[in-house]
Amino acid sequence: MSRFLPFSRDAFLALFEQYNEAVWPAPLVAYALGLAVLLSALKPYRGSGRLIAAILAVAWIWNGVAYHMLHFAALVWAAWGFGFLFVIQGLMLLATGLLRGRLDVRFRRDAAGWTGLALAVFAMALYPLIGLLAGQAWPRVPAFGIAPCPLAIFTFGLLLMAGPRVPWHLLVIPLLWAAVGGSAAWLLDMPQDMGLPAAAVLAAALAFRKNRLGKT
Amino acid sequence: MSRRPIDPCRRALLLSMGALGVAAGLGPAWAAAPSGLLRRAVPRTGEMLPLIGMGSWITFNVGKDPALRAERVKVLQAFFERGGGMVDSSPMYGSSEEVIGHCLGQIADTGGLFAATKVWTPFQWLGVKQMEESERLWGKRRFDLMQVHNLLDWDAHLETLKGWKAEGRIRYIGITTSHGSRHAEMADIMATQPIDFVQFTYNLLDREAEARLLPLAAERGLGVIVNRPFQGGDLFDRFAKQPLPDWAAEIDCANWAQIFLKFAVSHPAVTCAIPATSRVDHMLENMGACYGRLPDAATRARMVRYADSL
Repeated sequence: MSRFLPFSRDAFLALFEQYNEAVWPAPLVAYALGLAVLLSALKPYRGSGRLIAAILAVAWIWNGVAYHMLHFAALVWAAWGFGFLFVIQGLMLLATGLLRGRLDVRFRRDAAGWTGLALAVFAMALYPLIGLLAGQAWPRVPAFGIAPCPLAIFTFGLLLMAGPRVPWHLLVIPLLWAAVGGSAAWLLDMPQDMGLPAAAVLAAALAFRKNRLGKT
Repeated sequence: MSRRPIDPCRRALLLSMGALGVAAGLGPAWAAAPSGLLRRAVPRTGEMLPLIGMGSWITFNVGKDPALRAERVKVLQAFFERGGGMVDSSPMYGSSEEVIGHCLGQIADTGGLFAATKVWTPFQWLGVKQMEESERLWGKRRFDLMQVHNLLDWDAHLETLKGWKAEGRIRYIGITTSHGSRHAEMADIMATQPIDFVQFTYNLLDREAEARLLPLAAERGLGVIVNRPFQGGDLFDRFAKQPLPDWAAEIDCANWAQIFLKFAVSHPAVTCAIPATSRVDHMLENMGACYGRLPDAATRARMVRYADSL
């Protein structure tokens, strides 16, 4: 199936090996920041929304520059475009959440909240576990926080916890990436990436429902 | 089979048979080197090229990974050891050009190399920058062949290429397409522009080129490079479970890869085919098609009937 892409699965996994080793210990930092984001959403405090937005923004900009532009672009020219979009997403998170303080992320006991929490946990714990069970081994794996697909799933989860309405403009680029990155599940035999299109559909449906209910 | 009505595919084959006669007027259409290596003349110059070259789509796009690069060095080394000549790439293929340059630097004897790449960008000035970058990546000061990839901004780039050829910076110029797309536009360029090579898709199942492009190339004295001779690998999916037909031995084919390749390169207007592979054993199979007997017109017709019957 990888005939539809300009690179093979071997080259794709080798790229992760190069990337993960080049940015080490960024994966550990990413997990620490991810936990901080999750705890801030579960037990919000003054300024927690700004902190969450800042951390997500840094992660998106990091993925845009360090992963897409500096590594993935070696295999596929389109990665320059992906990187640009990821940087835009980071800047929008900064503008909406950090500068304007309009991203109130806190866990609520409703369908969107539970689903958002589940997606965040999936991105941090189940996503890498599925890869390991499928025979992938560190460092030839996409890692939480520094690889685009788990970051997009994590972001879907956090945005579903945003209230009272889910900011649609922050969902657009993750949804676009879900279409691109989700194809890896089939084209490159990456079973953990099946979670990305599923997360995108859930996020879009629940955001629509939450925002519609918020209007009435 | 003789009772079958003439369908479009068969009609195309009959037209290609007509091309046999056209190509017969090209002079030394094909010949075996002393080693038994099958080569064919570049129509414009008579320079002899091995019938099997090497493409690099997907297979050489391995980034900076040392292990994968080392494997590709072995693949390219096997190619040259078996008499390979044309290596074809493109800036579109990710890191392929850089990896080819790395591999060439690791191989002691690349004497038979015929370096071919492409320009693939809008705007003439960007094309110049891109071709200069290709020269740097390959570590070559002069490409043998520079092609306009997928006809992108072809008129602007052909102006540059004509100038570079006149200066001796490149030896041949050409245009490419693939997957059977834009054949009509390609034919127009072939008929009107002073190019040396064309590259397009031709294989046992994709035979549209027999109707117009291959006869036109023969008529205009253009070299023909065949891409996707395995239909991107789909031919193996379709045929590999079948036992090799009896006639495979008559054309010295020991595997399906050689059957597919010998079909493509046995068309008299074809100069070479450029299969891609990332494996040494597959490279050896591919290069096997550069030796032994080629199918004649009757055997080619038999091959087509067989393919269409599956």
